[in-house]
Amino acid sequence: MKTKKLVLSTVTAFAFLGFASAAPTKNLNIYCWSEYIPQNIIDQFSKETGVKVSVENYASNEEMLSKLAAGGGDYDLIQPSEYVIEALVKDKFLHPLDHAKLSNLKNIAPQFLNMPFDPDNKFSIPYMAGTVGIVVNTDLVKDEVRSFADVFKPENKGKIVVLDDAREIVTWALLSQGLGINQVTDKNLKQIKPILQQWIPLIKVYDSDSPKTALLNGDASIGVVWGGEGAILLNKNKKFRWVMPSEGAHLFIDSLAIPKTAKNVDNAEAFMNFILRPEISKQISEEFPYLNPNLAARKLMTQKQLDNAASFPSDDEIKKMQIFKDIGTKGSDIEELITTLKAQ
Amino acid sequence: MIGFASPKGERLPEGAPRRAPSLVAWLILSPLLIWLLLFVVAPTAMLTLVSFAERDSLGRIIWNFNLQNYVRAFDWVWIKILLESVYYAFLTTVICMALGYPTAYFIGRAPERWRGILLMLVMVPFWTSFLIRTYAWINILSKEGLLNSLLISSGLLEEPVAMLYSPFAIVLGLVYNFLPFMILPIYTSVEKLDNAMIEAAYDLGAGPVRAFSKVIIPLTRPGIAAGAMLVFVPSIAMFAITTLMGGGSNPTIGEVIFKQFTSGRNQPFGAALGTLLLIVFIIALWLTHSQRERED
Repeated sequence: MKTKKLVLSTVTAFAFLGFASAAPTKNLNIYCWSEYIPQNIIDQFSKETGVKVSVENYASNEEMLSKLAAGGGDYDLIQPSEYVIEALVKDKFLHPLDHAKLSNLKNIAPQFLNMPFDPDNKFSIPYMAGTVGIVVNTDLVKDEVRSFADVFKPENKGKIVVLDDAREIVTWALLSQGLGINQVTDKNLKQIKPILQQWIPLIKVYDSDSPKTALLNGDASIGVVWGGEGAILLNKNKKFRWVMPSEGAHLFIDSLAIPKTAKNVDNAEAFMNFILRPEISKQISEEFPYLNPNLAARKLMTQKQLDNAASFPSDDEIKKMQIFKDIGTKGSDIEELITTLKAQ
Repeated sequence: MIGFASPKGERLPEGAPRRAPSLVAWLILSPLLIWLLLFVVAPTAMLTLVSFAERDSLGRIIWNFNLQNYVRAFDWVWIKILLESVYYAFLTTVICMALGYPTAYFIGRAPERWRGILLMLVMVPFWTSFLIRTYAWINILSKEGLLNSLLISSGLLEEPVAMLYSPFAIVLGLVYNFLPFMILPIYTSVEKLDNAMIEAAYDLGAGPVRAFSKVIIPLTRPGIAAGAMLVFVPSIAMFAITTLMGGGSNPTIGEVIFKQFTSGRNQPFGAALGTLLLIVFIIALWLTHSQRERED
């Protein structure tokens, strides 16, 4: 570790040498998901406030977590999902928010506030929410599809695309057995193993980044994908239909939070409040049609956007959804379980 | 690393005077040495060290040294995946050699004014990121993609064929990406080929096949060996192409290691698998090296 720190500090030292003369006083370092905050939103914020924003991306919660836990990076704003916030709060990695500076938080629907992973939103504000559901190409799949069991049946062998995410796949199997999605115990994993053993050989494509590609190209005709990806497919072609699995689904809430090590807390809070503005939030929804938790922004959206079943599940459906809890070291085990079954 | 040995890599005779490298020589070498220390020796040492450690629920490393990661790594699942990755890499190397050798030979024997242009054509793909080129292949091979529509409109096919997301697509992607690494070193060997040697072979009664197998191949062997290594080694651990074009249903060792480091939050176990992979590479290099020594 020492060598690593030495290298890092040398690199940083050089970086400082380079920038010291021209450094503007107002900075904001954002560490966020790739393809989630539109560049144009960041530009608008810079233009309005004069804050120089630099953005770094990650492709998974764990990538961000490992960098943060190792003490690397000088970030002012991060974009973790709910179960990661839970872990970060528990290990005291986050800076408490000053709600006086977050006047626009009132725009968020109450059902997305004060969640168990962050009571009173002490450390985080919701950015976008969403779920995982089924997309069917009705030109190619004629049978009625209502559930995960309808997706993973032998007739669909070689036609299925799913998220390349072990926790997700295990979640669907747990739901199909009526088990809670956070009950990732050895006993339950043993119980769902035979189910997964039947499901996994049927799957053609694993893709978390852009599962819509395989469906658009015709290489897959049915899939289990993120709500936002489903919404884009529904907008593109009427042949795609969105199905909320009858066994249940989970709700994810991607949020914004400030790490304790942040140097520009004020700018980070200003950015949060900016994102919570209705007209800004609406623009984000246009590019990434997830479940927008911002009620004031929804008032500005078209009926077509609001009617998209993949973006906006009904309140009844949302009420039934469960939320991921952090499973810590079990992650490695489910990764092994899914890999083992894939390699069969 | 041959270091200060003669340019041809020949050993100095026993008892030849050896001069200790001067300070200037060390200074000239120092950028390379620092590079090697920082980016090869240090990371490898870290990886090996981490592979004996444990981790907590956030994925932070706990320095309790034991062998449990290796015990877990010697499970048939991981070995099977490793063997499969080696198989794909081997297949890629063989195909690259079959395609690359004639190409390199042709370029190397072409009139001199053509060589530059031909070589540049081999390098042109490097001007674009390999990810973009891989996405291009996805557009070509998909069911409603270019190739299928071409075959259907020309009447050769009636129904689109699934080409993407298959072992075929994996090997195609790997061969496409690594072919230049085979062509370039073989080209260097072919270019240096002495025409007099080939003429001598013919004069002494060898037919084309014999001249090729007994003279040309042995003379270009250094290029073949270098090309094979440059293709084989990175193909084993490559996971971007295999997941994008293979669809991820055949896990490769690179992908498995990547996932243990990220969503598995288990760097020590990923590091143990990585160390085992490193040992495979060392064995492969050592085998080629000892093979060459025997021939010399």
